Amino acid sequence: MPLHERDIHYFIEATVAYLNKITGNEIVLRDPTIEFQSLVFSAHTGLFLLSGDANGFVYFTTSQQFLLHLHTARHNRGRFSEENSHDVMVDITGTIAHSVQKRFGPSLHLSEPRIFSTVPDDPIEMPPAVFVQPIMWRKEHAYFVLGLATSETT
Amino acid sequence: MTGTEIYKRTAAYEREASTIRLHAPQWKLLLAYDGQRSLAEVALSADVSFAEALPLTEKFLTSGWIEEQPITLDQYLKRTGASDVSAIGAAVPPAVVLHAPRSETAAAPPPPLEPETPAAPLPPPLMPKVATPPALSTPPPPATASEIKVQQGPMRLSAVVDYITSLVGNTALGQLLVYRVFLQVPPELLQAEDISSVHLVNDTSLIRSESLKKAIARAVNEVAKRPLPDGVYAPA
Repeated sequence: MPLHERDIHYFIEATVAYLNKITGNEIVLRDPTIEFQSLVFSAHTGLFLLSGDANGFVYFTTSQQFLLHLHTARHNRGRFSEENSHDVMVDITGTIAHSVQKRFGPSLHLSEPRIFSTVPDDPIEMPPAVFVQPIMWRKEHAYFVLGLATSETT
Repeated sequence: MTGTEIYKRTAAYEREASTIRLHAPQWKLLLAYDGQRSLAEVALSADVSFAEALPLTEKFLTSGWIEEQPITLDQYLKRTGASDVSAIGAAVPPAVVLHAPRSETAAAPPPPLEPETPAAPLPPPLMPKVATPPALSTPPPPATASEIKVQQGPMRLSAVVDYITSLVGNTALGQLLVYRVFLQVPPELLQAEDISSVHLVNDTSLIRSESLKKAIARAVNEVAKRPLPDGVYAPA
């Protein structure tokens, strides 16, 4: 039995809720797209592989500036480094993992987060289609990307 | 709003029409409300995406230019194809006000696939609260693969997206249902038609390939359990 749409949407809700908490509800969701031929990767990415009730992957990818703004909003200081980018992404993926595990329990397994810059070290198999939810904050873009196996539809 | 609501223009609209200033696409939508067709059908006919139609409809309601068109239980039963109330197991007809039929012979639009608990709170109802009607009819059974038929004209991708989205009654969840549908469409057919992505609001693509039209119609049938309406096809 595949996950219901509202369960899938919970991944996006959890991510946006966390970002809104930091940004004071300034996150803007743009119109989503379905991509068939390519994956979108920005400067920094945190990715989970899904198994159990759903198979595939989800990831959050964003620019350095977006993470800088998040870091500044959270820690109220401007000094920012590559290491800080990694830390902010760890916070985001940790929040997603915590929220998802709390909701779904052991029925949905999330891999350890893979955090990387630019493109993944290990190739990711492109599913037939991916759902891309663009997110904007202070003119900076981020993307929440969901790729489900075809078998998740029936 | 779920897309099944039916609206008509009001006397206030008639009085104010000469002073109303709107963009042309908004006029097209406003003039399409006829007290006969559902919001989803009106949006399709006006070439306005369902996502765009929702805030515009709310604006028109707030301005008092349109109002919801109530119908009787009898009209509703005719619209849904149920012969009488006993057929649906109700001893006494519930006191409900429902939406109007397009005509007695027209096919009823599919009831929305309401999520059990919507992910986001829905806006307050625009009509006075009425009793929730029982499940009066079951949705039409999905067609078998051999029964899938498509029209000759090109398929408007935006209309397909809006139709699927309207089935759920929640835009965000409806868009994920669209995603599930397209997971079932063979990528090679999309590639052959140069479709590398689908914009879930206002996609301008027209599908001309018969095999791709059939694949999309089949995927909607399988995943959303509904046949595609003829309105998703542009004139040939």
